[in-house]
Amino acid sequence: MIRTPATDKKWFDDVMVELRLRQVHGSAIGDTVASARELLADTGQSAEEAFGPARVYAASLELPHAPAGQWVRAALWPMLASLLAFLLFAQAATAWAGEELLLVSPAQVALVGTPVVLAAFMPLYLAAAIRRPWILIILVVVCSLSGFFAGVVAPQTPAEAWLALDPVPWLIGSSVVMLLISVVVTLDPRRSGDDDRITDPSSTAPAGGGRTRSLAVTVTHWLFPVLALVMLGVVFALTAAAR
Amino acid sequence: MNVSSSDPPSPEGADWPSDWLRATLGFLALRALAAGPSYGYAIIGDLEQHGFGTIKGGTLYPLLTRYEVAGLVATEWRAGDGGPGRKYFALTDHGRAELARLSTHWQRFADTSIRYLDPERSTKETLE
Repeated sequence: MIRTPATDKKWFDDVMVELRLRQVHGSAIGDTVASARELLADTGQSAEEAFGPARVYAASLELPHAPAGQWVRAALWPMLASLLAFLLFAQAATAWAGEELLLVSPAQVALVGTPVVLAAFMPLYLAAAIRRPWILIILVVVCSLSGFFAGVVAPQTPAEAWLALDPVPWLIGSSVVMLLISVVVTLDPRRSGDDDRITDPSSTAPAGGGRTRSLAVTVTHWLFPVLALVMLGVVFALTAAAR
Repeated sequence: MNVSSSDPPSPEGADWPSDWLRATLGFLALRALAAGPSYGYAIIGDLEQHGFGTIKGGTLYPLLTRYEVAGLVATEWRAGDGGPGRKYFALTDHGRAELARLSTHWQRFADTSIRYLDPERSTKETLE
């Protein structure tokens, strides 16, 4: 592997992110990176000097890319449905553990739904958020605050509630939805990520890290069911301690 | 825009107006591959050696990538000597035909321009 100066690392990271944001296939990204490294090794120039700003260079390549809406269908909609199911599960689990009804108020629905709405509009701001980390920080803060205030405005008695529901069907329903989505995305070969890895065409050595990546992808697919299990344990522990 | 008049080429020809290079670099790069497959640094070196100045990777590679997508050039990674491989670009039949077509067109354009720019042209035409 050719060593590039540390100052070039950010340029290469940026160019990979920019090409990913353009839905360029992993093999084409690997080819772009390897070509750039090859020329830098020959000329001794810095990446910025030879190729200009990473964002401009990535755009100038005009590499073939997947349709813009493909990742929305493949990744965003399942993630949104899982997030919605998880938020419902969290509310239902708390009520079930406390042997209470699932009490819902309009303000609570609005606050709990805030992360879902933000996630639904992700295609509009994802590129800007990745290029400017402070936008990501604001999003995390907004989601955390909405979760906190959803707990604050949660109705305490059925009289205060807009809806008073038996938590069990909602608990089972949300669990089934989370599990089904995880199973479907795990079994879908297009979502394994193996065919879209950034590979180095200049190296004859087999690409490493395949098992680690596969494990990471699988963990991502099962993130919400795992979080739901952890949450169920925490809720039961807290309820038992309160008694 | 008056880039050409404000930015004349140096006598050595190593600092041509960027507009001129932008218009011609495509078929010049194809021409650099006419003798056989070559790689980025060698193409840049060949163009520099023939008086076109130092072309940056950020200018050459997007061009070659577009030609690869268009089927004018084919690429192949070859193992390097003790180091990582090199990406070789080679003209396809389509690329070779395109180079011939563009070279012919450019020749006609250049001849037309030279005839028009001839300082004695108006005198000759008046006398005729």
